Amino acid sequence: MKNTAFAPYSEESYPPVPTKSTRFWRGFVPWQIVRFFVLNIKIIRIVVGGHS
Amino acid sequence: MAKIIVLGAGISGHTAAAFLRKKLSKKHEVVVVTPNAYYQWIPSNIWVGVGKMTVDQVRFKLAPLYKRWGIDYRQARAVSIHPEGGSSSKPFVRIEYTADEHKGEVADIAYDFLVNATGPKLNFEATEGLGPGKNTASVCSYDHASGAWKQLQEAIEKMKNGMRQRFVIGTGHPMATCQGAAFEYILNVAFEIRKRRLEHLADITWLSNEYELGDFGMGGAHIKRGGYITSTRVFAESFLRENNIRWIKRAGVKKVEPNLIHYETLDGTENTIPFDFAMLIPSFAGVGIKSYDAAGNDITAKLFAANGLMKVDADYTPKPYEQWSVRDWPETYRNPEYPNIFATGIAFAPPHSISKPMQSKSGLNIFPTPPRTGMPSGVMGKVTALNIIALVKHGDHPLKHRASMGRMGAACIVSAGYGMTKGAAATMTVHPIVPDFEKYPEYGRSLGYTMGEAGLAGHWLKWFMHYMFLHKAKGYPFWWLLPE
Repeated sequence: MKNTAFAPYSEESYPPVPTKSTRFWRGFVPWQIVRFFVLNIKIIRIVVGGHS
Repeated sequence: MAKIIVLGAGISGHTAAAFLRKKLSKKHEVVVVTPNAYYQWIPSNIWVGVGKMTVDQVRFKLAPLYKRWGIDYRQARAVSIHPEGGSSSKPFVRIEYTADEHKGEVADIAYDFLVNATGPKLNFEATEGLGPGKNTASVCSYDHASGAWKQLQEAIEKMKNGMRQRFVIGTGHPMATCQGAAFEYILNVAFEIRKRRLEHLADITWLSNEYELGDFGMGGAHIKRGGYITSTRVFAESFLRENNIRWIKRAGVKKVEPNLIHYETLDGTENTIPFDFAMLIPSFAGVGIKSYDAAGNDITAKLFAANGLMKVDADYTPKPYEQWSVRDWPETYRNPEYPNIFATGIAFAPPHSISKPMQSKSGLNIFPTPPRTGMPSGVMGKVTALNIIALVKHGDHPLKHRASMGRMGAACIVSAGYGMTKGAAATMTVHPIVPDFEKYPEYGRSLGYTMGEAGLAGHWLKWFMHYMFLHKAKGYPFWWLLPE
């Protein structure tokens, strides 16, 4: 995605913007299948410790 | 034989009713009182608001399910609670039916235990000109989300005809909460505009009462990312920047006119922002249930806080932010005055906000009130049901099951697109929801359990959860094995 140029010194000009490589890995299906299971495990840990 | 009334059939009330009915024998009665004919899976309303799901995909009728489960379902609103009874000593709830055949009829239902899980009143009236039917859209319910999609389609059509459109999405009151839902909606709107290659005709602005982006009403969080411990502020700003969305923070919306929002910022300046499409979350309040003692005296203030939310086992002593503790937060959601009354989900009164209170130079409070998303609401509903079941079976004893937001974690998945390969999402977990600076002095939360990640996997997870939680809510096989 092409990013709009925000004016220098504007708030929007400071945050980190993902590189092309980062965006690729975010949508690369085999890697995201792995992340899907990792995220599930992380959420299950939260759920299990949620209440007593 | 015990009779338990559950007010409300949202995530918290429905969960409580489901477990009460499953674990109590049929000699005990479970009654659900809700003005709604449908259960709705609220997190998916975002997808209704961008036309990716129909209303019927996020809701189902309650009556057939409750009939199958053996729950006495009353389509009605609670008018008043009489915890000391009236002519008899048995406490009761006065209800007014909202369904067609009995609409307007009033009835009194006696109870042994009461669970108040009404959810909030969407307090659009607190901001002049705010809300559906006035000047802004909403995604707080399926019909609101459906209306938002109609308005969004009109804006998209105008862009297709070459007209520039201004979108403003965020919070519509200086103390509104649910920033996460609005954040998800703005990312989805940006995705839909980009998908149609119309981004050159869209000015999209995030307007929020947060002190910093990524606060989300829980004081923000810190996560490990890219070799650094970084704030969710960076995470949130990066997402907006990536989607070409501008932002205005520390803003309390005071009035909405057609195509013009008036707001005040923490520095005391009065501003306006024009718009063609706006979706702003209203403030929340209690649903306005009154309460009376045996003599008929109004004791609403004894049972409810000033905002109409019910008092529970929290520490409501006013104290400065620096003295806040996780111990202020309730654990059993039991009313201290009437121990057979519980309040869960958004219906319970928090002891204070989670975000630090901020006031503008004019004295206007501009900060988010605490969010209570699906996961903690469901957990509170289940824990309350388990405690009531124990009280029914074993009589009065110290409650065993606890679910403090100061010890409970939560997961929040913010979708930012739709599709098995084109979708995207930001997945966040925090633990605990309320920061515990005694246990985690540096950041208030566990860095091992608190995390944030962007990617397609989060979208699959959100999509999977939609079907999983509707499976659970519909009482399909093994529903009780699924987590809240």
